[in-house]
Amino acid sequence: MEEIINERVPEQSRPIIEFRGVSKTYPTGTHALEDVNIRINNGEFVFVVGSSGAGKSIFMKLIMREEKANTGIITVNGFNLTSMKRKQIPLLRRTMGIVFQDFRLIPTMNVFQNVAFAMHVVGASDRNVRKEVSKALSKVGLGNKARSMPAQLSGGEQQRVGLARALVNSPDLIIADEPTGNVDPNMSYEIVSLLTEINKRGTTVLMVTHDHNLVRDFQHRVIMLDRGKIVADNAGGSF
Amino acid sequence: MKVSSVRYLVKEGAKNAWVNRLMTLASVGVLVACMVIIGLAILISENVNKAVGKLEQQNVVMAYMKDYNWALYGDKTDASSTDTSSAEDSAAQTSEETQQTEEQADENGIKNSDYVIHNDDEAKALCDKIAQLDNVASVTYVTSDEGLESVKKSMLEGQESYFTFLDDKYGNPMSGAAKITMKNMEQFDDTVNQIKNMDGIDTVQSQNDLADKITAIKRGITVAGFWIIAILMVIALVIVSNTIRVTMYNRKLEISIMKAVGATDSFVRIPFVVEGMIIGLISAVLAEGLLYFCYRVATETIISTLGTSDIVRYGDVAWWLLLVFAGIGVFAGILGSVIMISKYLRHEGSEFSAI
Repeated sequence: MEEIINERVPEQSRPIIEFRGVSKTYPTGTHALEDVNIRINNGEFVFVVGSSGAGKSIFMKLIMREEKANTGIITVNGFNLTSMKRKQIPLLRRTMGIVFQDFRLIPTMNVFQNVAFAMHVVGASDRNVRKEVSKALSKVGLGNKARSMPAQLSGGEQQRVGLARALVNSPDLIIADEPTGNVDPNMSYEIVSLLTEINKRGTTVLMVTHDHNLVRDFQHRVIMLDRGKIVADNAGGSF
Repeated sequence: MKVSSVRYLVKEGAKNAWVNRLMTLASVGVLVACMVIIGLAILISENVNKAVGKLEQQNVVMAYMKDYNWALYGDKTDASSTDTSSAEDSAAQTSEETQQTEEQADENGIKNSDYVIHNDDEAKALCDKIAQLDNVASVTYVTSDEGLESVKKSMLEGQESYFTFLDDKYGNPMSGAAKITMKNMEQFDDTVNQIKNMDGIDTVQSQNDLADKITAIKRGITVAGFWIIAILMVIALVIVSNTIRVTMYNRKLEISIMKAVGATDSFVRIPFVVEGMIIGLISAVLAEGLLYFCYRVATETIISTLGTSDIVRYGDVAWWLLLVFAGIGVFAGILGSVIMISKYLRHEGSEFSAI
């Protein structure tokens, strides 16, 4: 770990995500991102907005190192993603929690097992799994639904299970890819409120959304993408 | 890797095999069929080897000696011409020739120097010399009387009287002989030549054709067995890979979540490898049972119809076959799953989005 992480300083001002001159072009010649420069500090809550094809997805994929930039330097949580070796990717991902728009719960597992799954993958002991999963489910208000199957839950509840799964390994960074896209407006507010709570406890949150109302009401930093470029970066929910 | 992780992964592998039971069953079925055919090929090859081994034992070479009877019935002038193989022999011959002038012929006109093997001790010494050759498995001295008896026995009824006549009038026409069996039929001709060149040997009677046929049969079985096993191994590998591929696509969602939360490639891979191994091991056990049943029925039928009991017993090869089957199963299981999952994991950019 020491070799990979470059001096991780837990300061508010330390950048948790940094893009310097990052461009990504697909083999077809499409420019997905062009010369992006951005810095997101530790403990920030950032909305990423933009229309379809603006480059939001590729922005997230580059942070998760699902894809690699063609040019520029990306640093996430102290990992240099540009020079990172394939076998180091799991270590990067263990420092972040991911919330998907389509929840991605395993239908054959109950709520507890779905959350525990994320801990088993990183080799946690059974005892630790029991303790941390219960804690994470309580945080998202699903302590009494541990034995329910995903199909028995509402969309909002399923997304909260997804959130508990993202939280259970105590990550430094939460990446939420349109987490309110498949839930009703009331539940959307609940989910962003939960993310805000998590953020207040020190976890950085990066959330992609299309919902202008949420962005306006929660008053966080907003990064706007358009045709692969950052066209606005405003603090305080305006764009 | 921690013990809890290993336990979890093994459990996941077993669960995969169960959840995907229809495909597991199909794979087990095909694998069992492959293993039974491989097992049959091995058993047939063992039985043929056993039979060929018996034939080898029966493929006896008779080396007839230059003894008194040979001198009596054979060409006496050959006696001296055979002693030219070495300088030492030539010296001995010269001294014999000197003695020859003083020697008296017996009532049949045979002198001591007309033949090489004068008594049983010399015959046995020659047999010992033959036994020292690398490729000789056994040597038995057959006296001229035993030889005659053996020939008489091999004749059809009534024809043996011809030998009785010879025996009565001229004495035993058979020479003493060394009855030889060989270790390796592929060196048959070389060994026969070595024996022929020995001092005291008149002629060597052998069945070159049979030796050649035995060698060809053995070679054929080895080559056919190799190809059968190789082809079936490839089939087994393809079958297991396909099952793993189906499981993998069924579990795309789990794999994507695993990757998202930081699972290593080996962590993702292990349940599939365990599933492959389970398929292989179940197949091995079933194939062993099925082959035992089939072989037992087949051998009982052969024994009752042909009356031969000279067949390889299943018990003698049971453990060995189980090991071969388990080896094939585990090898196909591990390799099939590793190939499939590695191919999938290497495909970058599809970890979270391609569900």
